[in-house]
Amino acid sequence: MKTRLLAVAIEHETDIVLVRDRTRSVATLLGFDTQDQTRITTAVSEIVRNAWDYGHGGRIEYWLAGDSPQILEIVVSDRGEGIAEIDAILSGTYRSATGMGLGILGARRLMNSFEIDTAPRRGTTVRMAKPLPRRAAPVSRKDLGNLAQSLAAGRSVDPLSEIRRQNQEMLVHLDELQRHQQELTQVNQELQDTNRGVVALYAELDERADHLRRADELKSRFLSNMSHEFRTPLNSILALSRLLLSRADGALTGEQERQVQYIRKAAENLATLVDDLLDIAKVEAGKTVVAPTEFTATSLFGALRGMLRPLLVGDAVALVVEDAADVPPLFTDEGKVSQILRNFVSNAIKFTERGEVRVWAQLEAETDCVVFAVRDTGIGIAADEIDLIWQEFAQINHPLQKKVKGTGLGLPLSRKLAELLGGKVSVESAPGEGSVFRLTLPRVYRVPGDGAEAESEWIPDPGRVPVLAIEDDPADAFALEHALAGSRYQPLMARSLAQARRALQRVSPVAVVLDIVLVGEEGWRFLLEMKQNPATENIPVIVLSATPEERKARSLGADDYLGKPVEPARLLKALDALTGEHSVTRVLLVDDEEVSRYLVRQLLPRGAFELSEASTGQDGLRRLREKPPDVVLLDINMPGMDGFAFLDRLSQGKDASGVPAVVLTSMRLTAEQRQRLHAAVRIVAKSELSPDTLTAAIKQALSAREAGPS
Amino acid sequence: MDQIPILMVGDCLLVSIQVDMHDQLALALQDSLMTKIVETGARGVMLDISSLQFVDSFIGRLLNNIASMARVLDAATVVVGMQPAVAITLVELGLTLSGIRTALNVDKGLALIRRIIDGEEQAFDRREG
Repeated sequence: MKTRLLAVAIEHETDIVLVRDRTRSVATLLGFDTQDQTRITTAVSEIVRNAWDYGHGGRIEYWLAGDSPQILEIVVSDRGEGIAEIDAILSGTYRSATGMGLGILGARRLMNSFEIDTAPRRGTTVRMAKPLPRRAAPVSRKDLGNLAQSLAAGRSVDPLSEIRRQNQEMLVHLDELQRHQQELTQVNQELQDTNRGVVALYAELDERADHLRRADELKSRFLSNMSHEFRTPLNSILALSRLLLSRADGALTGEQERQVQYIRKAAENLATLVDDLLDIAKVEAGKTVVAPTEFTATSLFGALRGMLRPLLVGDAVALVVEDAADVPPLFTDEGKVSQILRNFVSNAIKFTERGEVRVWAQLEAETDCVVFAVRDTGIGIAADEIDLIWQEFAQINHPLQKKVKGTGLGLPLSRKLAELLGGKVSVESAPGEGSVFRLTLPRVYRVPGDGAEAESEWIPDPGRVPVLAIEDDPADAFALEHALAGSRYQPLMARSLAQARRALQRVSPVAVVLDIVLVGEEGWRFLLEMKQNPATENIPVIVLSATPEERKARSLGADDYLGKPVEPARLLKALDALTGEHSVTRVLLVDDEEVSRYLVRQLLPRGAFELSEASTGQDGLRRLREKPPDVVLLDINMPGMDGFAFLDRLSQGKDASGVPAVVLTSMRLTAEQRQRLHAAVRIVAKSELSPDTLTAAIKQALSAREAGPS
Repeated sequence: MDQIPILMVGDCLLVSIQVDMHDQLALALQDSLMTKIVETGARGVMLDISSLQFVDSFIGRLLNNIASMARVLDAATVVVGMQPAVAITLVELGLTLSGIRTALNVDKGLALIRRIIDGEEQAFDRREG
């Protein structure tokens, strides 16, 4: 039977100490006496040090062999170069310069058996053995188990080797970390290089864009200037040819008349072209003025029919204009709408040889837009040419095209005009079947950008609470307005932050809905600004965004966050949750003067306040008991029970004590009177009555009550 | 790293080796001991190895070296408290510690150092006188 008791690796100089400790433990546990323990430990120490010094580490194993007597066998192996002078050492004739060599001999003397096996490049293996003491009982399997346990326990309490092991692990990790860091640095460097490239590219693009912008500007300027220059001589030609044809300067021969007619025809064509060019240039240069007026589709169609019927040649094509009586009146530039439709219809007639050209209008209730449509049964447009028709001077390739004259500017101009009115044009077509051209326009024209008309809409609606909605995209703004339509919230639309700031000065909304994406970084600043300003910090803000930025929004003070597109139900729910019951403050007004009551009724922002009135102190107390208000507005000078008496009753009152009061007075109060008024009561002079002073006084009174009983 | 304390008792340096020294620690002890002798001008060095469970050839050589070096620095070295098992093993190992004076315990060690110092001085005085 041969059992291995323990194996220890020698990886480090301090492992020698560990091995000595283990050796002594093994010897003690196997029952060797102190002398033998010392002998074995010393021998092992010698051999293990050799293994470390010359073999660069190795391994030691402890075996229990034999039966009677049992023998402790210790095997030390290293992976060194081997010992060259082994024979000399063993014979005792070797003397090293350092006094070494004694170790092997000494160890051999200390142990009962000693074998050394060494060969160049294979390393050295030393086997040493000592029989267990005779007087001790043989070591059983059970003993071996205990032994192993003791050794294991001993190992775990050896902090030095544990620390060293951890140290080594840490070194490995550190090494790895360093490698990662190097990789990161490298990646970072690459990214920086790429970034520089991108920046350079951007600069180039900017430059290109600038070039393009300048070229475009030049073109527009050229067109608008040159068109005027063209017009003057053209007008002369037209006038002169008309003069000639009127024969004011004598008769023309038949041939001459034909020639002059041609001249005049050509001049007229050229004039049309110049007119169209001028229109386009004007639109592009932003010089076109939109003059909105109110008109009906019916009246527009009437004029159109009269203008376009002469274009029809023969009976092959019919112009059908449908009834548009159910389309509500429009408020936009009639002349421009007419111009677009004229273009559509004359185009349709041009490219239709037989069939009909049908014109109709309808309301798109959802977006409050009017759609005008012109359908023909003409040659149609191939799918790959559809985009082409909106380009200046582009004309599609068709035999019919060559017969009819055109400037190639009609449709592009129509598109530009439609955009100017906030609408768009579109076309559906199939070759040989005809086309449908559509013009979609907002029913009510809105000046883009400045949004001045929006501010004029900031008139508080009695019975609704105002919500400030900041949204610069017209479509989204419309959706927001739509979402709040019919609710108890009145949307006050702001198209810019500047407008929103003005709105906040004029009205105090119960909540603010802020679209963050469209207004960008400025929007975040606005949010922060609102939340840092004591006057506006209590107004809840709902942030809308198309990108997930809820965390940022909340950290900057937003009270709620909704992703876009906004569902009306969710927006309403959020508003309800944020404004809650606080949105309506019940106010009891006690004043004998009819005029004062009327004033307060008018000045108090409706929606946020629910006003009930009493004309005497008694009546006021009765109402107070019936339906306790949040705050009382009280006149001092009243017949019967005056304001002071009312206040006394209020402070003693069992039923409605604690309702804060705001005193309205038209007289200057004496010091004594002031003293009679409770400290918590706010005083507002009637001469200073305004929505703001009232709202502020009520808010102060309410917050004073919330702060603690007075 | 741990270090073995060196105590000054009168004009003697006292080193008590309580732990199993690994080789670097042993060499460090040798160095700091020599530095200390020069710093303090100590006349004697006493090495207490009563806690040492074994002395192998390396430690034996170290003790020899310390004694030789101290002698050159004009200090006498005495090793005290060697356990019997260690003494027997030392002899079996073939180490003789020929340059080292030994004593059984610290008291006897101190007395021995005192005698050596005095003896040297007397010898010196005799030569001079």
